[in-house]
Amino acid sequence: MTIINEIYKEETKINLFSIKEILWILFVLSGSFFAWLEVGNLMDFYEIGILIASAISLILVGKFWNSLKMLSYWVAGLSILAIWEYANYSNKITANEESFLLIYLISSQAAIMWMSALFVLAMLTYFIAIFSKSIYVGKVATVLTWSGAMFGLVGMMVRWRESYIINFEYGHIPVSSLYEVFILFSVLTTLIYLYYEQKTKTKALGGFVMLIVSAAVAFLLWYTFDKQAHVIQPLVPALKSYWMKIHVPANFIGYGAFSIAAMVGLAYLITNKISQNNPNSSFVKSMPSTEEMDDLMYKTISLGFGFFTIATVLGAMWAAEAWGGYWSWDPKETWALIVWLNYAAWLHIRMSKGWRGAPMAWWALIGLLVTTFAFLGVNMFLSGLHSYGEL
Amino acid sequence: MANKSTLLIRFLGSMNLAVTLLVMLAVASVIGTVLKQNQAFQDYIIKFGPFWTQVFDSLGLFHVYGAAWFILVLVFLLISTGVCLTKNSPKFIKDMKNFSESLSLNSYKNQPYSETIALANFDLEGAKKILTEQGFKTKIHQRKDGVTIAAMKGKWNRLGYIFTHSSIIIICISALLDSNLLLKFRELTGDLVAETRSVSLNEIPKKSWLGEDNFSFRGTVNVAEGQKTNVLFLPYERGFLVQKLPFSIKVKEFRIEHYDTGMPKSFESDLILNDPNLEQPIKKTIRVNEPLYYKNYAIYQSSFGDGGSILDLKIYPLLSPEPNSIEIQTAISRVEPLKTPLGVFKVEFNDFRAFNIIPTTEAERKKTGKKTHNNGPSITFKVRNEQGKAWEYESFMQPTLQDNRYFFMTGMRTSSAEPFRYLFIPVDEKNSSKRFFKFLAIINNPIKIKKLLNLYIPKIDSIDNKTYNLQLQLFTKLLVLFRKKGFQGINLFVQTNIPKEEQEKVKDYYLEKTSLALQTLYLSILYQDEQNKDSISEFNEQWFEDAIIAISSLTRYGPAMYFELVSFKQIDSSGLQITKSPGKDIVYFGSSLLIIGVFFLFYLRQKRIWLAYSVTDKSLIVAGKDSRDLPETKKEFAKMIAIIKQKL
Ligand code: HEM
Repeated sequence: MTIINEIYKEETKINLFSIKEILWILFVLSGSFFAWLEVGNLMDFYEIGILIASAISLILVGKFWNSLKMLSYWVAGLSILAIWEYANYSNKITANEESFLLIYLISSQAAIMWMSALFVLAMLTYFIAIFSKSIYVGKVATVLTWSGAMFGLVGMMVRWRESYIINFEYGHIPVSSLYEVFILFSVLTTLIYLYYEQKTKTKALGGFVMLIVSAAVAFLLWYTFDKQAHVIQPLVPALKSYWMKIHVPANFIGYGAFSIAAMVGLAYLITNKISQNNPNSSFVKSMPSTEEMDDLMYKTISLGFGFFTIATVLGAMWAAEAWGGYWSWDPKETWALIVWLNYAAWLHIRMSKGWRGAPMAWWALIGLLVTTFAFLGVNMFLSGLHSYGEL
Repeated sequence: MANKSTLLIRFLGSMNLAVTLLVMLAVASVIGTVLKQNQAFQDYIIKFGPFWTQVFDSLGLFHVYGAAWFILVLVFLLISTGVCLTKNSPKFIKDMKNFSESLSLNSYKNQPYSETIALANFDLEGAKKILTEQGFKTKIHQRKDGVTIAAMKGKWNRLGYIFTHSSIIIICISALLDSNLLLKFRELTGDLVAETRSVSLNEIPKKSWLGEDNFSFRGTVNVAEGQKTNVLFLPYERGFLVQKLPFSIKVKEFRIEHYDTGMPKSFESDLILNDPNLEQPIKKTIRVNEPLYYKNYAIYQSSFGDGGSILDLKIYPLLSPEPNSIEIQTAISRVEPLKTPLGVFKVEFNDFRAFNIIPTTEAERKKTGKKTHNNGPSITFKVRNEQGKAWEYESFMQPTLQDNRYFFMTGMRTSSAEPFRYLFIPVDEKNSSKRFFKFLAIINNPIKIKKLLNLYIPKIDSIDNKTYNLQLQLFTKLLVLFRKKGFQGINLFVQTNIPKEEQEKVKDYYLEKTSLALQTLYLSILYQDEQNKDSISEFNEQWFEDAIIAISSLTRYGPAMYFELVSFKQIDSSGLQITKSPGKDIVYFGSSLLIIGVFFLFYLRQKRIWLAYSVTDKSLIVAGKDSRDLPETKKEFAKMIAIIKQKL
């Protein structure tokens, strides 16, 4: 009977014309329409296409994943509040040193600091939840994670606006520098994780995933305070293209999903090790079963692989337009291929040879090293055409 | 019975080979990024030593992506994928169409998921409806003892396999079309030789030229404003090839805009493309990210540079006893021979920059509120002597602020691996370098030194004529030493010519006398300029100190010449990249196929359900099979059973 109830519950969930759904569609459409009215004159043909496609995908993803709706309402509300507050200070960037609201809450810098703090806190809380076996603490961790993601998105939205306020010529979507993509990475990884948290109904992996997000946050903070990387810089001519708006986010869905797979792999290996020594350990009991973790690794890697494939193809198309060749064996390009080959091999071994368990977990973990090098190492150690975000 | 050829086929289509090849490709790519590719051979020898350079070179590690073994791996990848595809596709296509509706009851019972339910009556339409509602397609098979409904969904999953694997083949083959494989072949047959010298176009031999029939290429050319080109340069191995174009391109105008940080904001060229086949030339403005497409050619804005800016220069001979200079007019990328008493030099004018925007210092930002400032125009050039030794200079036209004073700044280095060492020539009160060269000329002129010292340090009564003359002689000698090697020169002289016990004392004495002499000569200039004779301004005092530092470092500044940029006329050149890549659209087609295929593979599962009712047994066999066995497969099957139990 419970199964049938579940089925019916699922069926009622997909009611297209509930007030909630209509509100959602209206919200996305009016938001996009407003964006077009306000800044449509700055967009070229492709960017209007991207706007329409983003609106449609947001509507669909929101239908598919309810919680995204509430997150979007909050992000939109706070971002608009920030933009309005800047307008109150006659759109001067120095408003972020004068307005209380901006200084402490929703200037991009403040929002990103909130994001950083909340993500680290969420990681700790998730671990406490495992050891205290408290459902309540687990819920707190989830709320912290959602709030962190919200602040991260608000930070990006407001930063987008701030880039135009600082100097109209500097204006650009904040996915162009290493600093900006680290925020994108933290937020996307967290959101993908939250989706699977709801789907798998377990919070035990939260601490592990937020570990990698916290590492990204640590880098972000070092990069801010030591290198002043948060200062908004204008774009180099090669990056001024609509391609950036789709290439970079697709890439980071890939990186995010691969990172989650690696952290689940880590959780797998730890759980496996402990359960070998002590099968009745309470830690093992509070973790998902190894089969579930194994399956989650497979799902996140295949999600990541899909988006990473798209990102790489888009990157090649962009390269063809900006550098005159779709493939130049530039280090960043080549490392994208290496990452792709690595996961293609992983998927083959799993799908055709049916490997499972510890070796695949190790491989996923090593995959993260490869991915990190592609993402960060190339910028640090190898020079090439991808000249943005040198460390 | 596996004979040899089926074994071979099995090996080529095996997963082990596929994964091995994927990993090999990945490792080769790693090498290609870690080892800088296509550098000058010299650089490799410096880095790895002759032995390892030899080893690496013979393994093709300096051109990994063109190495034979790399191509071989790619070819094997193609074969492996192809074999796998031809082996599996028929099976999969059959599997897509086949509902397996007429299997025996036993084989349904042996499916991965199977459950038998006792059922008195079977509602065929009801069962069909349940399955259709869940998104299944159904096929009904009447048996003697009952009926079977075979249902399937997500059959496109199978197509995913075919799409991904054929896309890999399509992409690799079309990318090979765009590679320089054909050129490699022509090179092997001796038909083609890369040019490695930097010579003018008409000196390049025919064997380095490529005709319009060349299938695919990607090269660059710099075109100065107002000029046109109908050739292109393709980097090849350690040199380049010249590609003839079937049309000409004129750069009518080049424009560049900067941000307030000095970073380029955008650059663009107005092009006129002239093809004899065209009635009207094509006019178009290209910029970064906005190329011009013409036939199967694409013309990109890729860089910019100097297109031969015209320079008016003054050359000061630094050892001349008179303040004189010669003026020349030249242009960037020209080489000027210079005959001097020190020998014949060649001056290569390399680059001109109209702006040098640099970040401001903390203190400066407080004062001006600006994040950057402009150091003004600069030129870089090399002075080369007859033996071929070169000194590279970077010289700024306008005085630069340093420690609150303005200087003419020139950097020098003898190897491009070093940073520039700067010479700072202080500006005089008229903001020019005139006084400096006047002062320098006096120091270069022993006769004048003697005369001036005689005038300004007259003989006093307490010493005799001979002593006075000796003193003047000492002064002159010290100044010559100073001019040759700076204060260091006087030190050296003392160390080699004076007994050890007295060195300290004599050195102090000499240095004091040198200073006195220099000051005196300086005063003589100030007097000539009719400065206030009684007190020297702070500016002039500081100028003296700065000038002495500059003069004493002149000897470390290369050949004794100083180049001053007087005026210029800037001419830009536009860096164009032109490609012909017939494989591009096929690569894009393959890529789309790949993306679609990947999503079919991962987001569609081919699921089958069979409902086989037996009238004799009054039972229903529910069987299920999934192309990929996931935890949810079990759950979904349980759900299906529950629904069937409830509704039927
Ligand atoms: C987008 C990249 C690729 C994906 C998603 C992919 C996916 C798959 C899948 C799902 C299978 C298992 C088919 C099945 O049994 O159901 C498979 C098998 C195979 N793939 Fe790939 N593949 C990709 C690229 C490649 C490449 C580049 C090669 C080149 C060597 C390759 C070679 C093979 C081979 C040899 C098999 C074994 C087929 C067999 O014997 O059953 N694949 N691949």
